[in-house]
Amino acid sequence: MGRRMRAGLTISAVGHLAVLVWCLVTLPSTKIESTESVPVDMISDAELSQIMAGAKTAPKADAPKPVVDKVAPETNPVKDPTPKVSDKPEIQASAEAAPPPEPKPPELKPPEPKPEKAEAKPEKIEQPVDEIAEALKRDEAKKKAEAKKLEDAKKKEEAKKRLEAKKREQQQKFDTAQIDSRLALLDKRAPQRQAATGAELNPTPSLGAPNASAATMSMSEFDALIAHLHKCWDVPAGVKDAHDIAVLVRIQFKKDGSLMTDPMVVNQSPNPTFRVAAESALRAIRSCAPYSFMPIAKYEAWKEVEVNFDPRDM
Amino acid sequence: MTTNAISRRKVLAAGAAAAAMVGLRVTPARAVPRLDVTQGNVRPMPIAIPEFIPGTPGDADAARTTTQIITNNLARSGLFAPIDPAAYIEKITNFDAVPRYPDWRAINAQALVVGRVGRQGDGRLKAEFRLWDVFAGNQLEGKQYSATLDNVRRIGHIISDAVYERLTGEKGYFDSRIVFIDETGPRERRVKRLALMDQDGANTRYLTRGEDLVLTPRFSPASQEITYMSYGQGDPKVYLFNIETAQREVVGNFPGMTFAPRFSPDGGSVIMSLQRGGNSNIFVMNLGSKAITRLTDSAAIDTSPSYSPDATRICFESDRGGRPQIYVMAAGGGNPQRISFGEGSYSTPVWSPRGDVIAFTKQAGGQFAIGVINPDGSGERILTSGYHNEGPTFAPNGRVIMFFRDPGGTTGPALYTIDLTGRNEQKVPTPSYASDPAWSPLLA
Repeated sequence: MGRRMRAGLTISAVGHLAVLVWCLVTLPSTKIESTESVPVDMISDAELSQIMAGAKTAPKADAPKPVVDKVAPETNPVKDPTPKVSDKPEIQASAEAAPPPEPKPPELKPPEPKPEKAEAKPEKIEQPVDEIAEALKRDEAKKKAEAKKLEDAKKKEEAKKRLEAKKREQQQKFDTAQIDSRLALLDKRAPQRQAATGAELNPTPSLGAPNASAATMSMSEFDALIAHLHKCWDVPAGVKDAHDIAVLVRIQFKKDGSLMTDPMVVNQSPNPTFRVAAESALRAIRSCAPYSFMPIAKYEAWKEVEVNFDPRDM
Repeated sequence: MTTNAISRRKVLAAGAAAAAMVGLRVTPARAVPRLDVTQGNVRPMPIAIPEFIPGTPGDADAARTTTQIITNNLARSGLFAPIDPAAYIEKITNFDAVPRYPDWRAINAQALVVGRVGRQGDGRLKAEFRLWDVFAGNQLEGKQYSATLDNVRRIGHIISDAVYERLTGEKGYFDSRIVFIDETGPRERRVKRLALMDQDGANTRYLTRGEDLVLTPRFSPASQEITYMSYGQGDPKVYLFNIETAQREVVGNFPGMTFAPRFSPDGGSVIMSLQRGGNSNIFVMNLGSKAITRLTDSAAIDTSPSYSPDATRICFESDRGGRPQIYVMAAGGGNPQRISFGEGSYSTPVWSPRGDVIAFTKQAGGQFAIGVINPDGSGERILTSGYHNEGPTFAPNGRVIMFFRDPGGTTGPALYTIDLTGRNEQKVPTPSYASDPAWSPLLA
């Protein structure tokens, strides 16, 4: 009996050892990628409600710069205005028989505001050295003194404008009570492609690890957005089949929380009341803009969101 | 043997990897975060309705009337909150121009109705309107109508319906009429006349002179006909009455008393109760062929039948279970299913024209309530309750219920509307006391 037991013990020991060895050999080979940590806010009720309400004492975030994520292939706006103003007389002298070019230069002047934006940036962002910025600076060095004077004037103007914008923003920022006044300040410009391309890349690195996961918003940070939309959304009331008219809307924001493009309804439904439900959702998003309370540091995480407006629980 | 071991090892390794994945929940974040907004506000939509532009100075009255009717209709629906014209920033002077949206956003108008009322070459009235979405900055609807001069009010109702339909996604109910019992005189010597008015209480007309007692008038869904019960000589009978010709005829020639009539959804037949002895049963008569079909055969009191809008089922009131309760059966009769199980008793069931609910009068604890219940017996809701509420009738779109309320004492009954949410109750103006309302289908 003892021998039998010993045999069983041996088998057991050998078996366990085999499993251990197998684990040592095989497990390391299954690569588990290290992952980014997920930020979790531990907050009290009071803090949560503070987030919902928006903090009046929050530090002023940097004035948003136009986001440029692609270098425009042609730097027309920079080159064009200056050479043409001075070059034109020469062309006139050599090609007398061509009157059409004459009216052109004055026509081309209006695009001047564009270089304003492009040139204004290097002035502010001097510390981070950027190859493209360097190249641009070399380009600019070639410019004539006239252009520089013009530039200075523009810079002053730009600074003034920015100051005014800041003032306005501060005034409007946490004034949730006065929706009417905020509505009047809606960004009514047509969506512009200029924002995506420009003379230089935005040198501000996005937060997050290099493995392409951007800064993550915690749920309570999104809750502020949800609560805000909730306040603005007038549900189509008492509609038949209200439970299956959920509307999914894609929203793209600018850094200042205003709408980058018109919000877009993503889903569809044959339900005849869907159109009305969709319009109510779009109306809520438009009338609530701008969403200036969103954390600018985590812009990458909320620049585009999908919101599901679902009156099912009501 | 070795190959076998390798394959097993592979399987095990894969399993371990999968387990690790599950354990750590390495879920790659969605490209676009998705949020759920499941709560919103149920509040009337702020709407701006500046006075319609008159085509000529002579049309100013018609333009003003039209604007007032639209404003009144939309406000009474409870779904819209017309903004005080004193707050308007932009003065609309050109019907064909795009409004200045910022001016309307500033006063938080979500929708804007702009209109013009003028004359056509033939002297008829011509009314046009445009409905603008202020925040989206586009036109949602634009229509024009023409009518004779005495139809100004109807034009106002029709435009109200168009605005209502475009903004709520459901048909309107403003271009409709109400038939009701007009009551005058002291309580013990009441004169009851059959009367007809617009849905908003305007244009009252009397259809009978009050010699006979008239009860439970009901509109035909298809023609300008009313069916009602009247005590003439002898037993009360069910009559058909043509609004245009004022002709009336008895429906069927039954021995005994017929009551609680109602049209079928196609208007081709009348369903009613026939009482003989101590019990009453439900019959349907085809108005064309005069053929009569018996639908129930019980020793109890079966009454107040009402068709579902698709005419496949009938709901009615019966006391076969003891107290009066609501039952549903197939349109051909047979095997009724009880759907109401609450305290007290249920009466006068009426099926909504959109089919989703059945409205009823409920008597419990000394109170009369108006409520709705789903046809399968679920979702019972009381909309309003009090000393005496009775006789619900649905607006053509099924969103609003009209009923009458009698406060008792020396006063008399009055008509009220309440919407399906139970939040918006309104008194309907009538020249004197009024009871037993019945809503017509849309006129157009």
